[in-house]
Formats: sequence, structure tokens, C-alpha cells
Amino acid sequence: MLFRVLRKEAVADLFGLLAESNRMVAPVQSGLDCLGSPLYAFKEVTDYYEISLTYTTTKIPAKKFFMPFRETMATFIVAGKDWTKKIDLNIDRPFVVFGMHACDINALNKLDKVLLGNFYPMPYYAAKRKNMFIVGIDCVPQPYCFCRSMGADTALHGFDIFLTDLGDHYFVEILSDAAFNFLRQLSVSEPAESDHALYVKTVSAKNNKFSVRVDTTDLTKILDMEFQSEVWEKWGKQCLSCGTCANVCPTCYCYGVDESVGLDLSRATKTKLLYSCNLIDFAEIAGGHNFRPESHSRLKYRYYHKHRGFVEAYEEALCVGCGRCGEACLAGITVPEVIASVRDQES
Amino acid sequence: MDSSVGRLKTYLGVPISKPKVAFFELTSCEGCQLQILNNEATLLEFLSLIQIVNFREAMSERSDDYEIAFVEGSVTRSDEVDRLLKIRRNAKTLIALGSCACFGGVNQLKNRLDPYWVSKEVYGNSSVETNNKAKPLEAFVQIDLMIYGCPVRKEEVEKIVTNLVIGKEIHHLKYPVCMECKANENICLFDVGEPCLGPITRAGCDSWCPNSRAGCWGCRGPADAANVDEMKKIMAEKGFDENILIDRLECFGGFAPYIEELRKGLPDEA
Amino acid sequence: MPDGTNFTDVMADRQGCYHRKSDLSAFEHTCKGELTSIHRLTNLENLFRIRLLDPEDRKRFTFQPGQFVILELPGIGEAPFSISSPSSGHGDLELCIRRVGTLTNFLFRLERGTHVGIRGPFGTGFPMEQMHGENILLIAGGLGLAPLRSPIAYVQENRNLFRNVDIIYGAKHPSQLLFTYQYDMWRADDVNLHIIVEKDDPSWKGPVGMITKVLQEIFAHRDADYFQKTYAIVCGPSVMFKFVCAMLNERNIPMQKMFVSLERRMHCGMAKCCRCNIGSTYICLKGPVFDYWSVMNLKEAI
Repeated sequence: MLFRVLRKEAVADLFGLLAESNRMVAPVQSGLDCLGSPLYAFKEVTDYYEISLTYTTTKIPAKKFFMPFRETMATFIVAGKDWTKKIDLNIDRPFVVFGMHACDINALNKLDKVLLGNFYPMPYYAAKRKNMFIVGIDCVPQPYCFCRSMGADTALHGFDIFLTDLGDHYFVEILSDAAFNFLRQLSVSEPAESDHALYVKTVSAKNNKFSVRVDTTDLTKILDMEFQSEVWEKWGKQCLSCGTCANVCPTCYCYGVDESVGLDLSRATKTKLLYSCNLIDFAEIAGGHNFRPESHSRLKYRYYHKHRGFVEAYEEALCVGCGRCGEACLAGITVPEVIASVRDQES
Repeated sequence: MDSSVGRLKTYLGVPISKPKVAFFELTSCEGCQLQILNNEATLLEFLSLIQIVNFREAMSERSDDYEIAFVEGSVTRSDEVDRLLKIRRNAKTLIALGSCACFGGVNQLKNRLDPYWVSKEVYGNSSVETNNKAKPLEAFVQIDLMIYGCPVRKEEVEKIVTNLVIGKEIHHLKYPVCMECKANENICLFDVGEPCLGPITRAGCDSWCPNSRAGCWGCRGPADAANVDEMKKIMAEKGFDENILIDRLECFGGFAPYIEELRKGLPDEA
Repeated sequence: MPDGTNFTDVMADRQGCYHRKSDLSAFEHTCKGELTSIHRLTNLENLFRIRLLDPEDRKRFTFQPGQFVILELPGIGEAPFSISSPSSGHGDLELCIRRVGTLTNFLFRLERGTHVGIRGPFGTGFPMEQMHGENILLIAGGLGLAPLRSPIAYVQENRNLFRNVDIIYGAKHPSQLLFTYQYDMWRADDVNLHIIVEKDDPSWKGPVGMITKVLQEIFAHRDADYFQKTYAIVCGPSVMFKFVCAMLNERNIPMQKMFVSLERRMHCGMAKCCRCNIGSTYICLKGPVFDYWSVMNLKEAI
């Protein structure tokens, strides 16, 4: 990793340079909520002044750009008893995500483990991920953020450039040669000793700003022991089984497949639809048997996958603590509260 | 329209015949039928799948020889009951098209009001023969399939008809509108202070209303596992009066089974 | 133009270096298969014989008894099915399928000669080689005979490598018995075949009751030494294998020597869609075949 410093004004030049030949995706203010606070979303942009680098958390992660909610996996031409299948990975040029927080970068790193690992790597994801240039940016912890508890408050890899605000300039971490080539065209300079000191100070100041914590000590075992706990039923009663938590989760990747026949009966389409383990028919099989008919059992398995199973498989949870699910859940179900309630059963 | 009658298509070698299809309307705005016609891009392909023998909104011929009948509207007059029974006798497959046919729709709003007052309010002193209650088709005949929505969504109708024609099972989405709304990356209406029935209403509309920043009114009826109790709590927490929830739940009739229970908690209306 | 972000074609140079489990191009790779024959077994079940058409696919397609494939009908859907045929047959496979959902209802309308999509094989198989030199109990309830037919074929082909072989098969009704035409062949290969039905009809001459009843009778005549040297494969609904495995457990057959095959909803077969996931275990990857010890640790499975 190389370090540089970049004047604040020069960030617009960096954007311009990247935008010359790439699609740009960035956080923008998409509206105001009823209390007048800004709402943010990742959108495709062309103008640097549309974007908001001081955004808090987008309601929905940048998911649709690398894992679309709906994606055509294949199309078929059907003729008589025969057919041909055509696969399209749905990307034809690189894109830049300009201004991604550490939690979302860590989410990508987790997805990489599942979707780009040694076993059956997924080309639909790989094609987008390999054509993604990421400019990370530091953030201010919000009241719902618990990324630090999940070890996802800083990004060690998975980006090209990471910018940390040091007042009148950015501290720049450079991870890829592509990023280095871009930055070479701008007026970047070597960081001074004082920049290093300021960076360390800034990061530790951030660490003190977290207001929620999740105790993950022995959590896999506790979840195992509390498998039959009544606390799940309480949460299940609240759960709307609406799938919102999964849709706003930067690490949720499960999907369903829908096949449909075209009106002319000679075309067919296979579509991948991101799903949610909380939806009623998630584990329903042909003939109607449902392995998880109750909402509490579905909610429980959501936690078992994210905080027990994934830890067993990869030594880390499938959660970056971005807090989006809790913020978006109309029923007010939040990860810190659910985990605390399960832990409470042990004391 | 019937130039290619009898021409046999196949799908994966399975012979596909063109079913004779009829469209009817009872008490309705005919907006669902209009949805089907209002689709120039795919209308010709759609028409090549079926043989329409009766469609008042689109053609003048009439025939009682059909296999599939689409019936839009609710039943509000006794002559409609007779028509519906006759359609049921003729059709192999009877499809309730849209919220009125499925649940009574907007028309059933009159059901909880004094019928005399309703008639006077709408028709003044003219005498009109109308039943006291607007009812869904299901109250009189057996329905083979429901197509939800006010109005129905044409893409969904096309998909369902294609599946009917090729003989592929038809399954409604079981999850609520929130799934589609999030996939469309809409701002949650509760965030901007609007009530919405998206969390408990059956999806399939592609979150039509929330896409235009209008809260869901539940026209497609409850999703499987709709958590109406929790919805009630959420509405209260967000500062909406229970009447706002009940008004929405009552609007299309799909949530009728929940209404009585909810009304119990309310002070009597004048 | 600034350099650095050139388009990466992840599928470039993938031709001819096909590694099924690690290659990106393998993910949606569908082998085209032709329905060579459709054999009616009962009112609800057919045996579909499928021949993979591409010579490369045929050469590559090898499987173990217990593994499954995903069968796809364009525009209709796809679903996992255990392979019911001998693992010695490359590129020719048989699927015993019950007409129960969208895909299978359409499949039952297809004619011979129609092309279907096959992905796989996926998942784990029964470790047949590990069982060499031992007794073997092949136990199936209902449609469970479909995944069991492949290990049965293995045992037939390698009869010399096993000691006592018992097939215990229970069905609800005599009319629901699968593969009736093969029973004499199995017996002729020195396999003890025990069949029981829950409800009989006038033509039925065999025993009536639950599958555990047959097991009790068989076990009454076997000594402790037998159980020390016995493997069991149990296929069927979870209520059935729960009772059966409990019985085997009582006889001190080690849990690691009892194998079951689990059924779950699946879309990909490659641990990506998450639909078959139980906690962290992907049934499509770590299963569908599990030893009983692993099943006990899956919480929801039983």
C-alpha cells in the first residue's frame, strides 16, 4: 500500500479523470425524510457536484451495480423439441464506485469469499466485481453503526483508493496500480510525518464515536445453545416477513430463479431474483412442504447463517454492522438488540 | 382476429392449442380490460396466443363458445348473478380479473353503509335496482384463478395467460410489496411520513404506487403470512390513526377477514 | 485517455480449460440431454432416461451413487433430482421423478426425443468403497427408493465386495411400489429384499405395517457381530429416517456408518443461492448425503 495526500479541491479532478472513460456510481442525496434529514442513495452520476461525499449511510447499498436485484441469467431460443441457451453476464465496461464506506467495502470482501471462492465461482458477480474500481471514503459513525463490533470499521483491502478526510486535504491509501496511474496525473504529494500523525488521530477519534456495540464473544456457541430459546418467538411475532432486511443488506446474496416463456412461445428467460430468508416460501419445496413455515424459524436461521454458520466457515460473521437492516425494519428489529436478547438468555 | 384458428403451436414438443377466450365485465370501471388492450408493443403477440370470441371493449362479435372467461368487476345486481352463473356454465376456466372480481374492490366500500343512503347519494331520486352489497365473484361461483390488482398489471396478465396456454402451473408471489419496492430502490414511504400497506400486501404489481411516491392501499390483498397485528402497531408508532389503517385495509376488500377484528377496537361510528 | 480501468472479460480464455468446480464458465453450463425413454412406474412416478448429447459432456459426466443433477426445462423451471441409475454409466442417466410441481408436471407431458438441460452432478455421494467387506442395509421409504437405486446397482455390480446385503423398502400402498420389475433381479443377485406396505389391497401377499416392523424382524435374527460390521443407507422422508436411524443406533451401528439423503429447496446446486442452507451447511455442497452424526448436528434436519 502506498500513501499520498491530495488537496480537497483535487478530488473533483480525480472524479473527472475517472469519469472520462468510465461509468460513475456515487452516493447522492435522494431526498429528505419527514424530519428534514437527508436520505442517500448510490446512483449513476456524470457530474461531480451531484455527489455527496459526506453522506451518512445510503438506505440501500450499491448492490444493484454488482449484484442486481433482478438479473437475466440466460435466454433460450426454443424450436420444436430443441433449444439453445445463451448466457450473458450483463456487463460490458468497467465502472467506478466513487465514495464507498469501509463497511460496504468489507461487505464486498465477504461476498468475494462466497462468490469468488474456489468452489463454483459465480461469473455474474465476478464479471462485475472484476470491472469495479472503488474509491473508498471515511465516515462518521451514526447512532446505528456497529461496524467496529463486527471488525468492519476499516477496510484493509478490496478497494483501489481510500480517502480519509484530514481537514483541508485527504489522506490517500493506494492499493492498485490502476489507481496509482490515475493519481499520478493529479497533484498528489508524499504525506508528511504530521499527516501520518493526523491520520492516526482521526481514526482513533472515530473509534470513540460508536454508540452501539454488539458483543460477539462466544456468539457461535451461544446461538447454538439458544436454538430452542423463546426469545426467537418474540422476534418472530414482530417480523413482517417482508424481506427488507435482506434487500438493504450489503452482504445478503441469496436468490431465487424465475423461468418464463415468451409470448411467442419461442423464447424463454431465466431470471435471478435476490431473495430473502425471511420470506414465507424461502424453504418451501415442490408439493408444498415448507421447512420453515413460522416466521421465527426463518428469522432465527437468518441469524444462524450470518453469525454462526458463516463464522464457522470463514472465521468472520456475514455482517458488517452497517445498521441498514435495523434502520429499514419497520418492526424495529435490529441486530444489536436481537443478539443482546439471545445473550441475555445465558445470564 | 381468427385467421389462424386451429393452427397448432408447440412448446418443447408439447402441442399447444389456442384457447377460445371471452372477456366480461360486471360492476367495474373496465380499467382492467383496458390494461390488457393498452399494450401496443406486445398486443399482437398476445392475441396470437389466444382466440378472443367475446370482448365488448375491443370487438363487436359475440360468442358463447369459449374455454376461458375473464370476468372483471364485482356483483352488485341480480342480473349480474345470472350472467355470472351462465359464464360459469360455459367456461372451463373462470378467471377473476382485478380487485373487484377478486375481493369486491372499491365497490364493496358501500357494504358497511346504509344501502338507502348510498343509493340516494349516488343516484338521487332515480330508481336503480341494486343489491345492498357488492360481492366478489367467489360469493356466487367457483373461481379457478384470480388475477389481482386495481388495475391488473399487464405484464402479469400476459405471463399468466402464456402459462395458461402452455399449461404451466400458475403461482402467485407470496411475499409482500416491500420486496419489489426495495428492488426498485424507492424511498420507504414511512421515511417521508406517508402510510403504506406495502409490508402486508401481496406483491406482483412491481410496487406500482410506491414507485410514484404513493403509499400502497392493498389492492392485491394480503400476502401469505401478512403480519397485520404488527402493521397495526407500526402505524400507531408512526403516528397514524387506526382509522387510516382501516380505511386502507377496507378500500379493496382483500383484507376483509381482518377488518372485523380491527373494528372491534374502535369507538362506534355515527 | 487515462489507462488503468480496462474491461476485464472474466470468461475470456476459458475455452478448453474447463474445471467444473473452479471454472467460471462452469456455473451456468447446461449439458443438453435427450429424453431417450419415458418409463411409467406408477400413477405419479416416471423413470426418465436421459442421454447427454455432447461427446465432451458425456466423457466428463461421472458421478457417485447419491449425487444429484439439476434438470432444467427452458421457460418452465429447474429442480434437483437424485440420479437413480448405476454410476458406471457415463453420460446416460435415469431420473425417477414424481409429478408434484410446476417443473415435473410439465416434464410429464414431454415426449421421447425432447431435449432437457442437465447441470451437475452436484453434492456428495454414498461412500460405497468405504463399505467394501461389510454388511449393508439399504433402507428406503416411498420415493426414497429413487436415490437408493444407484447404490443398489453398485452393490449388484460389485456383489463380491459385500457381505450380507438387505434391501428394506416400505411404501404406503402396493400400487405405489417403484421398480417392481427389478425385484427378481435383485433377489437373484443374492440380495435379501423385504417389502412392506402400510395399507394392503387384496392382491398383496407381503407384510403390512411400518418399515420399522420389518427391521425388528430382521434384527431379531442378527447377532452383535453383524451390527459391528454393518453400514446402512437410509433414504426417505425425515420422519422415517428419524425412527429408522434411532433403531439402528440402538443396535450400536455407529452414526458415521449410517447415511441419509436430505431434500431441500435448491436453485443453483453450487452453494450460491443459499436456499438449501441450514445455518452454514449447504445441503447441495456438503450433502445431500450426510452421515447420521452430521445430520444430528444440523438442528433443523430432523
